[in-house]
Amino acid sequence: MSGLELRHVRKAFGAHEVFPDLSLEVEHGEHVAIFGPSGCGKTLLLRLIAGIYDPDAGDILMDGRSILDLAPDRRGIGMAFQNFALYPHMSAFDNIASPLSAHGNSAPTEHVREIAGLLKIDHVLSHAPRALSNGQKQRTALARALVGEPKLLLLDDPLRNVDAKLRYEMRLELPKLLRGFDATVLYVTQDYKEAMALGHRIAVMSRGTIRQFGTPEEIYYQPADVEIARLFGDPTINLLQLQPEKSERGVHIRLSEVAVPLPDGDALPTGRECTVGLRPEVLAFVDADVPAAIPVTVEAETPLNEKVVSLVRTSCGHELLVSRPAGTPAPASGPAHIGVDPGRLLLFDPSSGDRIALQDAVSTRGGSTT
Amino acid sequence: MNRRVLPYLLSLPALIVCIGIIVPFVIAIYYSMQRYNLALPYLRGFIWFGNYQSLFTSSEFWKTVTVSLLYTVFTVGIELFLGLGTALLLRRPTTFNNIAAILLLLPLMTAPAIASLMWKLMTNPGFGILSYLISLVGITNFKWASSPTTALFTVILVDIWVYTPFIMVLLIAGLRALPRQPFEAAELDGVPRTFVFFRITLPMLMPYIITAVLFRLIDSIQQFDIIYAMTQGGPGDSTLVFQVAAYLEFFQYTNVGRSAAILMVLWVITYVLSLVFVKNWRRLRERAHGAV
Amino acid sequence: MDHTSPLETIFRRVALGVILVFFLFPIFWIVLMSFQTNEQILRIPPRVFFSPTLSNYKALISGELITTVGSLKLTFMHNLWNSFFLSTTSVLVALVLGVPAAYAFARFKFRLGEDIAFTLLSIRFAPPLLILLPLSLLFNEIGLSDTYIGLIWVYQLICLPLIVWIVRGYFEDISPDIEHAYRIDGHSWAQTFFRIAVPLARPGIAAAGLLSFIFAWNNFVFALILGSADKQPVTVGALAFVTAAGISYGQIAAAIVLSILPTLALALYAQRYLVEGLSLGAVKG
Repeated sequence: MSGLELRHVRKAFGAHEVFPDLSLEVEHGEHVAIFGPSGCGKTLLLRLIAGIYDPDAGDILMDGRSILDLAPDRRGIGMAFQNFALYPHMSAFDNIASPLSAHGNSAPTEHVREIAGLLKIDHVLSHAPRALSNGQKQRTALARALVGEPKLLLLDDPLRNVDAKLRYEMRLELPKLLRGFDATVLYVTQDYKEAMALGHRIAVMSRGTIRQFGTPEEIYYQPADVEIARLFGDPTINLLQLQPEKSERGVHIRLSEVAVPLPDGDALPTGRECTVGLRPEVLAFVDADVPAAIPVTVEAETPLNEKVVSLVRTSCGHELLVSRPAGTPAPASGPAHIGVDPGRLLLFDPSSGDRIALQDAVSTRGGSTT
Repeated sequence: MNRRVLPYLLSLPALIVCIGIIVPFVIAIYYSMQRYNLALPYLRGFIWFGNYQSLFTSSEFWKTVTVSLLYTVFTVGIELFLGLGTALLLRRPTTFNNIAAILLLLPLMTAPAIASLMWKLMTNPGFGILSYLISLVGITNFKWASSPTTALFTVILVDIWVYTPFIMVLLIAGLRALPRQPFEAAELDGVPRTFVFFRITLPMLMPYIITAVLFRLIDSIQQFDIIYAMTQGGPGDSTLVFQVAAYLEFFQYTNVGRSAAILMVLWVITYVLSLVFVKNWRRLRERAHGAV
Repeated sequence: MDHTSPLETIFRRVALGVILVFFLFPIFWIVLMSFQTNEQILRIPPRVFFSPTLSNYKALISGELITTVGSLKLTFMHNLWNSFFLSTTSVLVALVLGVPAAYAFARFKFRLGEDIAFTLLSIRFAPPLLILLPLSLLFNEIGLSDTYIGLIWVYQLICLPLIVWIVRGYFEDISPDIEHAYRIDGHSWAQTFFRIAVPLARPGIAAAGLLSFIFAWNNFVFALILGSADKQPVTVGALAFVTAAGISYGQIAAAIVLSILPTLALALYAQRYLVEGLSLGAVKG
């Protein structure tokens, strides 16, 4: 039985239809990241589930039972808001204790202290929210969402309003923390790294629909369309408009006049251009004598923490980003050669943007994602 | 569902009060179309616009209209001038200015009827301090509210005393809420101060001025307390404004129909003014509270 | 603004001085009069320095006035009590009726809500006699004339619009997510209203309450038309003094001081909120 299920949910505000028809099924105890650009309806999705708004049509079920006829206070949900939504007239302690006292727990002290200790805010429990730092506010909001041990936890971009350092720490800390709770988690974020770090699965939303729902690996290696391929990955994926060519050895594309074969390319409609996606880490500097080595010119090089990104130009003028782990040698400028792993190359329909499946990418899994 | 019903449930009591107010209002409209004199009950009957017709052809009514308009124009005009001037003097939020602004609010917090009583004591021809003071500059025999020639002046004076602080306090708040950049830029550029006042301060303050003035116009044209407490419309009909006229028509001449008709005319005037008012007021409210 | 000429500085100070004198002198003078005997008041020229007497206040408070012609009963303290009772209960009733309505208008966008809110606003601007005169006849028929209940009902005309429109603004300033969070924590709608919305809007509710108290206290026309001497507040009662026989001017002045003292004190106390209240929430002080 799924922990949470949305069936054909429709929601409109006046003439503006946010969700034409949205369905989503989340396993019990699963952590799902809802990822998408701002304004795509992520927050509204959480609010529909929490009962702040009612859908116009469709159904929302928890553990197989519809919750639409339950008021927000009866749904057994914990929620952390993007703007924290702390109660300004109550201490941090009372904020956190609120879900417990609501359910008649008259002595919530132990429990509150425990969760506050877990989130490292036990020293500020007597403070009013306005006396807390942003990080402490965010942790208080999280503690309040978690303290009641809800069956379903809705986290609305909780790291949005905290500074970069804290966000980095929390990105590491939060999955560990959430594992300690037996809750189904929906985590809304605009940051693909957060989505990949926190979600067992990621639901990629765009303009009121879920474009892809899959594991981080699936999203990264088999993006449903070119837009998703572009959103996940840093530096962003190289996209080239190329026309596949057919020969007796199979289908291939040409980069700097060098033929790169496409495995199982027979399915491809030849004779027209398609969008070729090459993630920077799929490209690697190689020696000139390696078969199918592509001659390029290195234009620039930027170190990015644990990796180095080079900008290269092929002889036919395409610019490509090539990334490699920091510390590995490579030419900093001038002529060089790169190689492509053809199995990890992505092809997209140039008009619809949908990915053209070449093969089951299972064999191509592996390699670092970030 | 609960969520649908709740807002109606919450506003039900307010709705009932509204209905309780609208009922007498509708009755007033009905009365205004009746020949209805409490002293002559057997003559009661529906006469459509007969009361209005007789009002518009009566010189007494036009005198009431004139007096009301004079009262309104002079009170609001002078109050705006004084209130704006005082607001500009107290514009900077220094301790002295803040204390002065609070003290200047006291007349506004005085009941208008009581204010009239205070001025009555001060303008008493026998012992009134004001009568004494003007006698020092050679004006003797000034009769204030007891003479038809000076009664309107006297009630206007009391209105100015009570209500100037209203305009002042709104405009101080308005002036202090204005963004600073245009003024700083003008100062850096060395723009003359009269130019700054007429081209920057005044236009930016305009929504506040309009709101304050409309508030005052609506209240002033229906002023009752000050005039009734001071002169009861007299001497003669020299201070007989709309509401006082309607009051006397009702209680002295027991002519309910005519009284209601006078009030309906006044209501139409205030209604038109309040339509203009609401538009401006909403704009300011949205500025103060975010979008409504 | 920092480089004002000395001449201008002098002009500004003189202007401010004249304004302060004009607006504050009447209150000052009436307070002086209230401590004077009739002989002192009638003396010409008037004097600022005199030996003050408390006899005027004593007469008002004891309710008994000994004159040469005999003893006279004064109902002034009863008027004062009426003012206090009518204003307090009217404000309480208006709060009970108005705060939930203000919340509904702030939180739920519904057609009827806007209609009621603007009807209340237009009531604030309609000529009071237009409502009062038919009401006086109506009250006669349904037995509400000259009752506290009838008067409190009519006082809603001034209290309710004020409270609804001020408190509504304060509710609108509360982030709805705070209330949503409290609901999701497991609290009912009523708990959220009383423990989140009302406490957070409390400054506004207090301000609106104090202001409507001031306006109710200062009202004159309602009780003039709908109340007999027994139910009349100080505004009407003090005026009746002028025509009453045997009253001295000092006693009138003392009555004035006693009747404006509560509102002036409240105004000083609540001055932070006055601007917002006077403009029905359009201007923040």
